[in-house]
Amino acid sequence: MQMVELETAGIVKRFGTLVANDGIDLSVARGEVHAVMGENGAGKSTLMSILYGMQAPDEGSILLRGQEVRFRSAVDAIDHGMGMVHQAFKLFNSLTVWENVVYGREPRRGPALDRRAAIAQVGALAERFRLSVDPTARVGDLSVGVRQRVEILKALYRDARILILDEPTAVLTPQERDGLFDVIRTLKADQRTILFVTHKLHEVMAITDSVTVLRQGRVTERMATRDTTPAEIIRAMTGRVVNLTVDRKPATPGAAVLDVQGLTVGTGAKPVVDKLSFRLHAGEIVGIAGVAGNGQTELIEALTGLRRPDGGRVTLSGRDVTEADVEAHRAAGLAYVPEDRAVTGTARAASAADNLLMGYQRKAPFTEGLRLNAKAVAEHARRLIGRFGVKIADETVLVGTLSGGNLQKVVIARELTHQAPLLIAEQPTRGVDVGAIEFIHAELVAERDRGRAILLVSAELSEILALSDRILVMYEGRILADLPAGAADEDRLGLLMAGRTGQAA
Amino acid sequence: MTPRPSRLPALSLPAVPLAILIGVVLGGLLVLVSGGNPLDAYWRILVGSLAPANWPDTLNWAVPLVGMTIAAAIPLRGGMVNLGGDGQLAIGGFVAAVLPVMLPQILPEAIALPGPVLAALAILAAMLASGLYAALAALGEVRFGIPMLISSLLLSYPAIGVTSYFVGFPLRDTTTGLSQTAMIPEGARLMTISGPLNIGLLMIVAVAALVLYVDRRTVGGYELRMRGLNPRFTAYGGVKPGPQMLRTLFASGAIAGLVGAIIVLGSLYRFQDGALLSPGYTWSGLMAALLAGGEPLGAITAGLFFAALQTGGFAMQRETEIPRVLTMILQAIIILFLAMRHGVGRRG
Ligand SMILES: Nc1ncnc2c1ncn2[C@@H]1O[C@H](COP(=O)(O)OP(=O)(O)OP(=O)(O)O)[C@@H](O)[C@H]1O
Ligand SMILES: [Mg+2]
Repeated sequence: MQMVELETAGIVKRFGTLVANDGIDLSVARGEVHAVMGENGAGKSTLMSILYGMQAPDEGSILLRGQEVRFRSAVDAIDHGMGMVHQAFKLFNSLTVWENVVYGREPRRGPALDRRAAIAQVGALAERFRLSVDPTARVGDLSVGVRQRVEILKALYRDARILILDEPTAVLTPQERDGLFDVIRTLKADQRTILFVTHKLHEVMAITDSVTVLRQGRVTERMATRDTTPAEIIRAMTGRVVNLTVDRKPATPGAAVLDVQGLTVGTGAKPVVDKLSFRLHAGEIVGIAGVAGNGQTELIEALTGLRRPDGGRVTLSGRDVTEADVEAHRAAGLAYVPEDRAVTGTARAASAADNLLMGYQRKAPFTEGLRLNAKAVAEHARRLIGRFGVKIADETVLVGTLSGGNLQKVVIARELTHQAPLLIAEQPTRGVDVGAIEFIHAELVAERDRGRAILLVSAELSEILALSDRILVMYEGRILADLPAGAADEDRLGLLMAGRTGQAA
Repeated sequence: MTPRPSRLPALSLPAVPLAILIGVVLGGLLVLVSGGNPLDAYWRILVGSLAPANWPDTLNWAVPLVGMTIAAAIPLRGGMVNLGGDGQLAIGGFVAAVLPVMLPQILPEAIALPGPVLAALAILAAMLASGLYAALAALGEVRFGIPMLISSLLLSYPAIGVTSYFVGFPLRDTTTGLSQTAMIPEGARLMTISGPLNIGLLMIVAVAALVLYVDRRTVGGYELRMRGLNPRFTAYGGVKPGPQMLRTLFASGAIAGLVGAIIVLGSLYRFQDGALLSPGYTWSGLMAALLAGGEPLGAITAGLFFAALQTGGFAMQRETEIPRVLTMILQAIIILFLAMRHGVGRRG
């Protein structure tokens, strides 16, 4: 029998009338990787923030190695050996890695900060846990995956015995995710305990030892990973059977909606997007596969009007939009689900109604002259909330309080409802639960069947394969391959994404 | 250790009375230490601003102060800052002072404009001039990438300087020894309501109502609010950032111009060098707007409060030995404390 490292008894947390955690009993053994799963809004992040001292529970207690503890703040929790990596990183981008890591607990020599000792300590720590980072690099220059390692380092520097990872893989590329798993295994070997929140079943199966499933704030199931199956976990989360494969008929592409010719972003010998050409037709879903950083972000920015291309031509529904701004793109028929829902896709301090109105505010029936029709706005919001199953009390609630997945649904609901001829969807199911993925995928296919052209960008190869009628593989700013769905599988895409055309052909 | 938000969020209510209380206590101690009677001082401030007989004085001071509060609050609502209020005030006042004097001289004898028409033209011209001048600062950011915080402030100085030059030399009323323009014809002055109060009050009330309406009920107000909450969101949603900035600054400047015109046409009857700027309406207004995070109703309330405080300060200075700086200190303590509450206690 393993030692119990962390236990909770009857944790309750209410937000007004909403019960986010409803009597949660959790038991985590020392040195295990423990998955916490559940639908969007089930209360996972709330529970984690209570364990990390950021919120106080209304009822219930936390036991750490058998001792009851009461965290007054996150600092207090850190002193008790808790560490947490949040979904949104909390780093100072203008500072270096080591400065971020030692912040608040700097090694000193007399009154002065001992810079050399700090760098050495951070470097040694990184090496010990195989977190390859350069302590002197500036955080702002680092990729998302490396920044996450800095967050982990920060927690380890404070000697975290229990590390909470809240959806750590949502923003990672598959390669970065594998790196994270290696780190987790090293930590486990060192008898550290890890709480791992995720929506991805294959990750749970791959890395965890046990699973606790939450549903509407309650624990519905506790399982040992090796004794369970993805289907069982899904049933515990949703209470129903979820169809993980996407039903869709072959596409019947129509006229070209988007015509990209020689699009170039960046200058010099190796532009980020390098004379790229493709066509996207009504009634088809085209997926863009590629390792992050091969020009996908810049391509989408140029296609949506957020950035002016340095060369080439873009035609949307017959209109030349190469030099046009976002507004003109939207007028020509663009709907866009951006990669980052919190930074770009929503205003967190605004209500759901205000968030769902964006892009419609100058259209009937929402405007009458210059006036907004408040009733139409509220009705529109309620309709979308209902149709997309956003878990929210009503449309006047600020979206900043929504769980990550529910925030994503707000963005999806708004953009799909535009019924624009072209939909660009970047990571459309990032952070949403399996049930919602099923729903969003079905909606995307239905939109396609209604004759929309959809450009899908996703870090999940499984998502690209499940939805796309055609797959473009991007490598170093160019399209390396244009494959019909039937000709693609994970292995072949993997090789192409690494730039190896020879073996893949 | 989240980086702090750069903007003040809208105030939660209990913070306000608390800050006022702390300001009053600290201010009272200050009076006590310097040998005065705090109770007497506060009584004078209260009576001086809020006794019915003194309402006209308070309101008369509130008209420009609240006007400049609104001028500052509009861009702030969208996350932008207009620091050029002084320049826009000067331009508005200058145009409103010059037009009623010059226009009759330029127009042929046959077209004799009635006074009220002249006043209306003067006000509209003042608003247009100041609005365009403020929009110029926005253009600096949109076209040339000069942050508006800087361009609006920098553009203020030439406006003050040029108007000062004109009243000092070419347009100076040579019958007096001072730097001021000729008197505005009587017919073109704003109608008085009672005592020092004139219909400028009604204009500011109308502007306040209009701004509240636009903020809550119109498309433009919605887009500006959203920009204030997340500018990336509005840009992504298809609101053109540049034109929105120009429109917003035009509105802000136009209101500053209106305030200048009301002061000139309603109380001074001429443009006197520096007279518009020395009371510091721009900065009191900016503070009031900042306190409310640009939310118009809160900003107007704060502006009214500052106006009452400052008017009470004049009364206190008249009646006691205590200088009216006390009220400015009070104001500063309240602002400081409110701002502090938003900054500290945010580690996590
Ligand atoms: N500060 C808050 N104020 C009001 N409601 C809140 C607050 N924080 C969370 N909630 C609500 O509590 C519920 C649980 O949220 P939580 O973030 O814990 O969900 P989650 O399981 O992490 O979901 P996801 O998988 O989408 O991240 C949600 O309905 C959310 O809207
Ligand atoms: Mg969550």
